[in-house]
Amino acid sequence: MTDAGDPPERTAARRVAARKRRLTVLLLLSPWLIGFFVFTLYPIVNSMYWSFTVKRYGVPARWVGLKNYEQLLGNDDLGKALKNTVYLAVFGLPIRIGISLLAASMLARPRRGNGAYRLLFYVPSVVPAVASGALFFFLLKGGGPVASLFHLFGAESPVWFADPAWAKPALIMVGTWALGDAMLIFLAGLVDIPRSLYEAADLDGAGRWSKFRHVTLPMISPVTFFVLLTGLIGVLQSFDQAYVFSQGVRKGRLTGEPDGSLLTYAMLQLRQFQDGRIGLASAMAWVLFLLTFAITMVLLASRRRWVHAASEGSG
Amino acid sequence: MRARRTLLLIGRHSVLIGLSAMFAAPFIFMLLQSVMPLDQAKTTALWPDHFEWSNYSTVFDRIPLGTYILNTLKVCALTLIGTVLSCVPVAYAFSHLRWKGRNVVFVVVLSTMMLPFQVLFVSQYQIFSTLGWLNSILPLTVPAFFADAFAIFLLRQFFLTLPSETIDAARVDGASELSVLARVVVPMARPGIMAIAIFQFLFSWGDFFGPNIYLQDERSLTLAVGLVRFNSDVARVGESNLTMAASVVFVLPLLVVFFFAQKVFIEGVTLTGSKG
Repeated sequence: MTDAGDPPERTAARRVAARKRRLTVLLLLSPWLIGFFVFTLYPIVNSMYWSFTVKRYGVPARWVGLKNYEQLLGNDDLGKALKNTVYLAVFGLPIRIGISLLAASMLARPRRGNGAYRLLFYVPSVVPAVASGALFFFLLKGGGPVASLFHLFGAESPVWFADPAWAKPALIMVGTWALGDAMLIFLAGLVDIPRSLYEAADLDGAGRWSKFRHVTLPMISPVTFFVLLTGLIGVLQSFDQAYVFSQGVRKGRLTGEPDGSLLTYAMLQLRQFQDGRIGLASAMAWVLFLLTFAITMVLLASRRRWVHAASEGSG
Repeated sequence: MRARRTLLLIGRHSVLIGLSAMFAAPFIFMLLQSVMPLDQAKTTALWPDHFEWSNYSTVFDRIPLGTYILNTLKVCALTLIGTVLSCVPVAYAFSHLRWKGRNVVFVVVLSTMMLPFQVLFVSQYQIFSTLGWLNSILPLTVPAFFADAFAIFLLRQFFLTLPSETIDAARVDGASELSVLARVVVPMARPGIMAIAIFQFLFSWGDFFGPNIYLQDERSLTLAVGLVRFNSDVARVGESNLTMAASVVFVLPLLVVFFFAQKVFIEGVTLTGSKG
C-alpha cells in the first residue's frame, strides 16, 4: 500500500485526515496524559529509586543497591504472606464473582421490591469497618450466637479467626459479604444488554439457562474481565480486613492465638511503612507490582478466548 | 398455572428477604447499638432495654455535623464532576477508536493501578507541597479532573459492550468523533457512567486517608475524618453506643443516595427502552 498510484492532492488530503485523527486521539487522552505526567510519573520513578536505598521520612535516601531486595527474600514471613494471599485469591475471587453475578442477575429487572433488595445487598459495602467488625466479633466470639447455633446441633463451633484452619475461610466469608461494588458493576453491565438479543433467543426456543449461557455471559464478559482483574489487584493490595481481624485476635476479642494465618503481603508492606522504612517498603511494592503485572499479562493474553469477540473486536 | 406463578413469586421473595436480612445485618446491629444506654452497650445484649434517643443529640452536640457534611459534599461533588468529565473521553479513545500504540498505552494505564498507593503517596505529598496546595481541598479534588485509572478501565469495558455498528453508522453520516461520543456513546452507556459516578461519590464520602493528611483546619474537615477522630475519643471511655450513633449518621446519607441513584440508572434505562 503505497501512495505512488494516488494523485498528489489525494495523498495530501489523506495525510491531513490522519493528522486530524491523531489530534483527536490526543485531545481525548489529554486528561489522563496530563495527570500521568504531573501527578503519577514522578512518584513512580521516585519509589523505584527508593527501592535501592535506605530511606526514612524527612531524611535523604542512601544508595544500598540490591540490599532491600535481598533482605526481602530472606524474610521468614514472606512465604507465609504470599501463600495466604494466593489462597485468598484462588478461593475468594471465584466465590465473590459468582455470587455477585447471581445477585445482579436476580435483581437486574425493574420488578417490585428489587430496588430495596439492591440497597440492602449493598449495605456491607458502605458500613464503616468499626461497625461491621463489631458485629462479627459479637457473632463469632466464644459463647456468642454462632457458637450457640453450633451447640444446638451438638457440634463444637470453630474459633474462626483464631483457628489457623478457619481463619482464611472466615475472612473469605466476610469479604464475600461486601460484594456490593461487584454487584453494582454487573447490574450496570446487565441492563446494558440489548433486549432484542433475548427476544431472538426466545424465538429460537432457548431456555433460561441457555439464554444466560449464550447471551448474558458473552455480552457481559468485558465487565467480568474488569471485576476479575481489579478483584485480583484488590486481593494483592488490601490489608484492611485481614488487618482488622488479626488485630482483634491480638487484642483477645476472639479466643485463641494468632499464628500468622491472616498475614498478607500487603500487611507485611504496611508494617515497613509504619516503621518508616520507606526504602524496604518501596522494594516490596515493586516486587508486588511485577507479580501483578505478570498475572495481568497472562489474563490479557487469555482474554481473547473468553471475552466476547464482537465486543472486544474493536478493542 | 396461576398458582404455580404465585408459588414461584413467594419462593423468590423468601430467598431474597432471607439474603437481605444477612446483608443488612451490620446496619441493623448498628442501629440497635446506637440507641442503647451506655451501661447496656458494654454488655453483649442485642436488643436495647429502652431506647436512648439522646445518644443522637449527644453526637450532634459534639460533632459540628453541618460543617462536616457541607465540606464532604463539596469534595464529593467536585470529584464526581471531574471523574465523569475526564474519564469519558479517555475511555472512548481506548475502546472505539483505533490508533497505533493503543494497547501499550492502555497497559500503562492499568499498571498505575498496580502500585500500592502508599508508595506513591510520599512523593505526591511533595508535589502538592511544592504547588502550595497543603491545607486545602485541592489535593483531594484536582487529580479527579485528570482521569483515574480505575474509572477509565471500568468505563472502557462498558463502552466495549456497545454495538460498534451503531457507532460506525454515526461516523458514516459524517459526525465528528466528539459528537459521536456525546450523542451516540454517552446516551447508550448511561448505566456505566452512573456506576463510576456512584463509586466516586461513595469513595470521596468515605475517604479518610487523603483528607486526614491534607486538611488541617478543624472547620475544613470532612465527615469521615470527623467520625474517626470522634470514635477514637469515645473509644477511650468505651462509649461504643455513641460510635454506632455517629456511624449511622455517616452511613444514612450514603444509603439514601445509593437508593435513588440505582433506581435512576437501572429502571431509567429499562423503562425508556433506549436500548430497544
